[in-house]
Amino acid sequence: MSSGDPAAPRPHRRRASPSRPESVDLDETFDVNRLHMLRQTVAAHADRLGAQEDQVERLIMVAGELATNAIRHGGGRGRLLLWHHDDALYCQVSDQGPGIKDPTAGTSPPKPLAGESGGRGLWICRNLASELTISTGPDGHGTIVQAVIPR
Amino acid sequence: MTVPNATDVGAGDHACLTFTDGEDRLDLIAAFVRGGLRAGHKVVCWTDAIEPDGLAGQLAERSVKPGAAIRRGQLRLSPVSDSLLGSGAVTAAAMVDVLSGELDAAAREGYPGLRISADMAWASRPVGGVEELLAFETKVADLFADGRLCLICQYDRDRFDAVTLAFAAKAHPKTVAAQVYYEHPLLRICRQYSPPGVRVAGQLDYRQRDVLEQALGESLRLDRNPRVNLARLDYIDGACAGVIVAAAMRLPRSRRMTVRCQRLVATVLDLVGAGSAPGLRVQVSHEQR
Repeated sequence: MSSGDPAAPRPHRRRASPSRPESVDLDETFDVNRLHMLRQTVAAHADRLGAQEDQVERLIMVAGELATNAIRHGGGRGRLLLWHHDDALYCQVSDQGPGIKDPTAGTSPPKPLAGESGGRGLWICRNLASELTISTGPDGHGTIVQAVIPR
Repeated sequence: MTVPNATDVGAGDHACLTFTDGEDRLDLIAAFVRGGLRAGHKVVCWTDAIEPDGLAGQLAERSVKPGAAIRRGQLRLSPVSDSLLGSGAVTAAAMVDVLSGELDAAAREGYPGLRISADMAWASRPVGGVEELLAFETKVADLFADGRLCLICQYDRDRFDAVTLAFAAKAHPKTVAAQVYYEHPLLRICRQYSPPGVRVAGQLDYRQRDVLEQALGESLRLDRNPRVNLARLDYIDGACAGVIVAAAMRLPRSRRMTVRCQRLVATVLDLVGAGSAPGLRVQVSHEQR
């Protein structure tokens, strides 16, 4: 896997707002009971789009961690969009939770002995994605996280 | 009555191993064979659902090296049809004679004890004769009197009906079954007996974090160098990967934890700090889905 070493991911200087897809390949709402199903659906769609096994694996990890964050810290439910552009896969998860205050969350490695809220999820996502942006929902509520999974 | 650990079964025991998961059966048999070889006993595996060659390979994968033991005659793997069942009609009396002959032979060869594991799958087939098997399980009791014989009879729960299984359980003074911490179509967490540790298969996320901690905790208490078998784990999230790394971090310097897993799981372990746990070894298994 290209992201073998957990080297510190580059901080994204651009305070990018999420890019908007022309059309999405998958639009799913989820809660804790649909987490397994969501991972499976995401993998199936990525397969269908012709993504390589390695890229699908990274996507499943990123989608899984982002969805888990929405379920555990973002109000218990969320919405996942998946689309593609050239060879890259775009995964966006939004929720209606209290929001992530720190846009640089997950840019430093988690402490191995940190407990439950060790901040592992976003660190994993930032390492597996080539780009990851965290923004606030259009009405000022909730969180939108968008990740780009390169080929 | 339940003995959860196959290594607790010893000389003089007649035990019933019931299983639904093929991995559990092989794992318990491997622990049984290893214990017998270490004790210097003769070990015989009468196979049925698995061919002797296949079993030898499975033992080798589970930290038992069958080759040398087979060459020196201490270990024999043979089909149940060539041994226990003999060539004539299958009768309980004939089977007891075969077993008694094995016991005499082991004594002549100088072994202080004999361990036999027998796959009873044959009796579930129409021609098998489940009545003779059940009669055998009762009649065989006398052979255990002098404490030299140890016999484990394997019953696949999916092959036998409930009445037969209940009878079999009653005819055996001991029952052996794998300890399962969590069982679900998408996830199974159980104890691994050979090599000793924990086995997790399926998909693992934060919802079963507590069960994972319990299973690892027990392994850390029981096993000096726990082996965590994740070869059939297709997905792990950061929370559970963190539990594994944290468990390894708490090991004293003289001990180590070995994790066998697929590439994706290795990547996640790496990202949550596997590299900073000196006692943790991660081996990427090539056995992909």
